[in-house]
Amino acid sequence: MEAKQKVFVGMSGGVDSSLTAALLVEQGYEVTGVYMKNWTKDLPGMRCPWADDLADAKRVAVHLGIDFKVFDFENEYKHKVVDYMIDEYKLGRTPNPDIMCNQEVKFKLFLDMALEQGADLVATGHYARTKDGQLLMATDANKDQTYFLYRIDGAALKKTLFPLGEYTKPEVRKMAEERGLATAKKKDSQGICFVGQIGIREFLSQYVDTSPGEVIDKASGKVLGTHDGAIFYTLGQRHGLELGGGLPYYVVGKDMGKNQVFVTTNLNDDELWRDTITLENIHWINQPAVNGTYQVRMRHRTQLIECQLEGSTLKLKEPQRAVAAGQSAVLYDGDLCVGGGIIV
Amino acid sequence: MTSDGLYYLDHAAATPVDERVLAEMQPYFGERFFNPSSPYAPAVAVRRDYFDAKARLAHTFGAKADEIIITAGATESINLAFSAVTGHVVISAIEHDAVVAAAKRHSHTLVAPTEKGIITPEAVGAAITPDTELVSVQLANNEIGTIQPVRQIAEKIRTIQAARLKENNKRPLALHCDASQGFGQIDIHTARLGIDLLTLNAGKMYGPKQVGLLWVRPGVHVEPLIVGGGQERGLRSGTENVAGTIGFAKAAELADRHRKSEAERLSKLRDTMEQTLANAFKQAVVSGHPKKRLPGSLHISMPGLDAERLVFALEQRGVMLATGSACAANKNTRSHVLTALGMSDELADGSLRLTFGRLSNEENCRQAAAIIVEEVKKEYERVGRA
Repeated sequence: MEAKQKVFVGMSGGVDSSLTAALLVEQGYEVTGVYMKNWTKDLPGMRCPWADDLADAKRVAVHLGIDFKVFDFENEYKHKVVDYMIDEYKLGRTPNPDIMCNQEVKFKLFLDMALEQGADLVATGHYARTKDGQLLMATDANKDQTYFLYRIDGAALKKTLFPLGEYTKPEVRKMAEERGLATAKKKDSQGICFVGQIGIREFLSQYVDTSPGEVIDKASGKVLGTHDGAIFYTLGQRHGLELGGGLPYYVVGKDMGKNQVFVTTNLNDDELWRDTITLENIHWINQPAVNGTYQVRMRHRTQLIECQLEGSTLKLKEPQRAVAAGQSAVLYDGDLCVGGGIIV
Repeated sequence: MTSDGLYYLDHAAATPVDERVLAEMQPYFGERFFNPSSPYAPAVAVRRDYFDAKARLAHTFGAKADEIIITAGATESINLAFSAVTGHVVISAIEHDAVVAAAKRHSHTLVAPTEKGIITPEAVGAAITPDTELVSVQLANNEIGTIQPVRQIAEKIRTIQAARLKENNKRPLALHCDASQGFGQIDIHTARLGIDLLTLNAGKMYGPKQVGLLWVRPGVHVEPLIVGGGQERGLRSGTENVAGTIGFAKAAELADRHRKSEAERLSKLRDTMEQTLANAFKQAVVSGHPKKRLPGSLHISMPGLDAERLVFALEQRGVMLATGSACAANKNTRSHVLTALGMSDELADGSLRLTFGRLSNEENCRQAAAIIVEEVKKEYERVGRA
């Protein structure tokens, strides 16, 4: 008899990863649940729920009768994900820490440690599919999470299972309930996991010294008012400028050195709309760089846009609004996620 | 079994409010809602009820109404007991987190227990320095149930006080006893214990939560933590918790009245459970002192197992109990109590706390024991397989 394949499942205490573990048990794998302890800090107005999440993950593991471990990545997570995010914001950019977490923690540290401890494969509750080291969109296009996974390398994907890739979220909840999983009705986490619902602004103010600066009208050069710190503002943002009545103003630029935010009332301002984008740190999944026609997504769950890639230049079929530096442009060829890069 | 079909074996964590207690509290949320400080007759009647309840409450442990300060629970009482300290304090190494945290604000010494969890008077005496102002030793431990020789510790302290007087050391030296656990199971009486300060908690004796008291021997000084309208002789301002205090008094009276028979009943249930588990698992280790232990308390370790897994497995079968320490489990750290006992990590990680009380009876304890045996066996099989 062939020995069962050993899978380590990243269990966050949510319904997705709980069902992932349950399905793999049913599929005949020898499953070990692993809670990745990445972040435990409370923030003002937000209690970090890590201990409850850990307990829920463990509760489900016990219910399934599988082994359960805790991998402590707190230091690495702070350095590779949180510090990266803060540094990017300091540079005036808009980073995506979840993409970094997948690249550095889940599909590097977790994968390596799992393999070291005897796993043949790892699995997570992401909505995505893999095939021969390729990354494919989830069947449920509305839930597809490949946007967050495009920086994983092909070797890691070959060792990864995404059992939820074929299901929709309502199906997942229903299957979790049918199996009596304690997390079946648990609310989905929202926003960046360690920031939660308090918002990035509150998070950043804990870690970065900020001071008020000028809000300047781009057209006239006139100072219109003050803001709490340029770090808090993102291209295209309208709210939170507190400039009083009249036409709405939009952020069109920042000077981080001078702590200035530039705004405009012109909805068609050049800075707000881009049809050519330069990428850096381009990552290709299991294939060499190939120029050509792709579909691109510049934010999670937004529409795919036809584009032409030449080297590090991406020409969009239609101009897009508020494409912020630091975000990721993820490239698709049909269902296949081929890779992507960071917007300059 | 509780009313909703569950086996509750965690009475040290929380007790349900007794129906009779609730019934006595009820009017003070309704027709007798008045502020006891108001001048008109119905309010004056409430004030009278309040002081009457305090007197009945105090009487259950040999004290007087004016000697107790009603607080919002044992944690506040403990903080109040430490409030006037300017010098050194001595506490046992197995106190509740509230005492540990209060002591950490001062220069302090921890007294290590014996292997069985007993704090000896000699060890306490040795820790007392000329600067020591307060000694705090619990009556019974919340994790292992060990009952401390508080009376003997008090005698030791009196000897030291006498010696201090001869040396003209005028520093006060008081003994505080946290008796949050054990009321209604063992004798609690200020004079017989020989203490100066006593903390009690209504929420652990079938009374309301967030209601506690600190008894202060006349002549012992405490400083108010909460100032305002000067209630509780200025030591705890804020409109009196009349309903809570009425409930506390009733709960204490009931617990006191049935103490002997309840203690006997609980120790039988506990001993039966202990024997069942010890017979089923030869490797099981019972911690704490075998005799000097709360009648309703059992701390048992299953070496090699993860107690938290057992708690989750048992929860699915309707059995509610705690790992070695409820507080410690929430923080995913090892219990300071078990560490102080010198318990190995293996035993500490595999330890369960079962605390029996009014929801326990022969029938449901027998059923719970069978379920626990099954689940522990399952876990041993799983671990063996891995």
